[in-house]
Amino acid sequence: MNAIDKAPAPGAALRLISGNHACALGAVAAGCRFFAGYPITPSSEVAERLSRLLPEVDGVFVQMEDEIASIAAVIGASMGGVKALTATSGPGFSLKQENIGYAAGAEIPCVIVNVMRGGPSTGMPTRPSQSDIMQSRWGSHGDYPMIVLAPASVREIYTETIRAFYLAETCRTPVVLLYDQVIAQLTETVELSDGENRAPAERKWASGPRETYRPYAADEDGIPAMSRPGAGYRVHTTGLTHGENGFPTQNPEAVARNLGRLFTKFERHREAIDSWETLGCEDADVVIVAIGISARAAMRAIDIARAKGLRLGLFRPITLWPFPEKALRDATAGAHAVLVPEMNAGQLRLEVERILGSQRVHGLHRYDGEAISPEEIAARAQALAREKTT
Amino acid sequence: MKSLMRDTRIEIRIGGTGGQGLILCAKMLADALCTAGKHVAQSQTYEPTSRGGYCNSDLIISDREVDYPLATALDCLVLLDRMAVKPSWALLKPGALVIADTRLCPELPEGNYRVHHLPLSRTAIELGSERVANIVALGALAALGTLCERKALEQAVRADTPKSFLDINLDALSAGHRLGKQTAPLPA
Repeated sequence: MNAIDKAPAPGAALRLISGNHACALGAVAAGCRFFAGYPITPSSEVAERLSRLLPEVDGVFVQMEDEIASIAAVIGASMGGVKALTATSGPGFSLKQENIGYAAGAEIPCVIVNVMRGGPSTGMPTRPSQSDIMQSRWGSHGDYPMIVLAPASVREIYTETIRAFYLAETCRTPVVLLYDQVIAQLTETVELSDGENRAPAERKWASGPRETYRPYAADEDGIPAMSRPGAGYRVHTTGLTHGENGFPTQNPEAVARNLGRLFTKFERHREAIDSWETLGCEDADVVIVAIGISARAAMRAIDIARAKGLRLGLFRPITLWPFPEKALRDATAGAHAVLVPEMNAGQLRLEVERILGSQRVHGLHRYDGEAISPEEIAARAQALAREKTT
Repeated sequence: MKSLMRDTRIEIRIGGTGGQGLILCAKMLADALCTAGKHVAQSQTYEPTSRGGYCNSDLIISDREVDYPLATALDCLVLLDRMAVKPSWALLKPGALVIADTRLCPELPEGNYRVHHLPLSRTAIELGSERVANIVALGALAALGTLCERKALEQAVRADTPKSFLDINLDALSAGHRLGKQTAPLPA
């Protein structure tokens, strides 16, 4: 095994690793001990790396027969008490949606990596895209809450993978890690130190008398305690609408109580969930809102524009869903235009327009499999600034 | 990643077709630069057909964390197939270094660049395998581009080469280095 496959040592120096590789390392650092997946470009390196890393830490790696079986196995492993991960790309993400809804409804912690490639359908396997922004939030039927994290660098894939497990376990929810092909297969020098590792997240386990345990009864934090397998608590898990006892019900009062709690269960945890970065927004005339490779292009566009006297800023949601609304409002308060460059036909723009209104918000969209360049963003921002002054 | 200052950055592209080892070649160079304390970002463009389709591997080198990791203006272009010329030529900076294989990339467009036409693949064939043309190119690039110490590059080649290819890869690196040292740029 290559030396770079080892987990980072404390205070490690610069290392060269790819985004998908960083995801695998982050998963192991977070305590993930089960992976089930089916190879798909451009996410396969996550599986490839974990097939080597997991056996070394007494974990389990399974290459399943298909995408649906993969997410099903991950949900099963998590119900068995193990931190579990699957990784896929758009076509596989579509196939997994029914079971992602199951995990959301039955409140089974798990992490799903979706590396975005060109779509729709099988699309462009080796070309980047950012067109699963809405699917990652709304992909399964029915109402349900979802946490989606959108890292923009190799280093951030590592730290956000660890955070994904933390949030999945503590909020009892599936968490999607969403990044594009460029970042996934980008190899960058990174400094990974132990300082970034939180203590591995612990799920809230059931304790107390077995007779009164109710698997979907929650206290103030909105998160029901899970029973550790074999602990002797009576548990029932179903995709059907259920009451606090876990058994199916269509009783309006019981349904409303449980779903009401489900829809609002992140509210008390927003401090841990919300994450974003701002760059130069304080004095910006035009603020860019972007994720992934488009955000990396925006960082360079800021330099290009500022060298020409245009004050450009960047708001980058790291937690994409739930969207950090207030932070966006604050960051764009002084800007007369907001520009959303994204590799799709306008998905992130739709959310930004919902929050800010459509008047100031403009899109810059590419869906030809090419990343949006810093020069394109800078030129568009300059045009917007000119429109304002004329 | 957080920076409002413009970085000094160098952009290198190795272009050719899938199966030529372009990504491996860029990774070896990236490894050597990383050891020397440089920040690098290495990306690639490839087709679903893993052999024969257009492929390139890009390397951004910086003294700081790289902001935008993809190529926008090339300081250096290595060409191992004619297929790679068109997608990259427009990205060349004036005066950029171009290293092209004489056999696989015989004709190049005009331009104000430092062009070196070198027998990279022919040298590889003479060494015993066309498959090491990527390492010959790496040697030539290192000599012409003065990017890193030869020893660091040799270390990277050793680390990333399977045993059965080690001798021929090291020979290829030396041969490429000699080609690079001996050549003078074609008149622009």
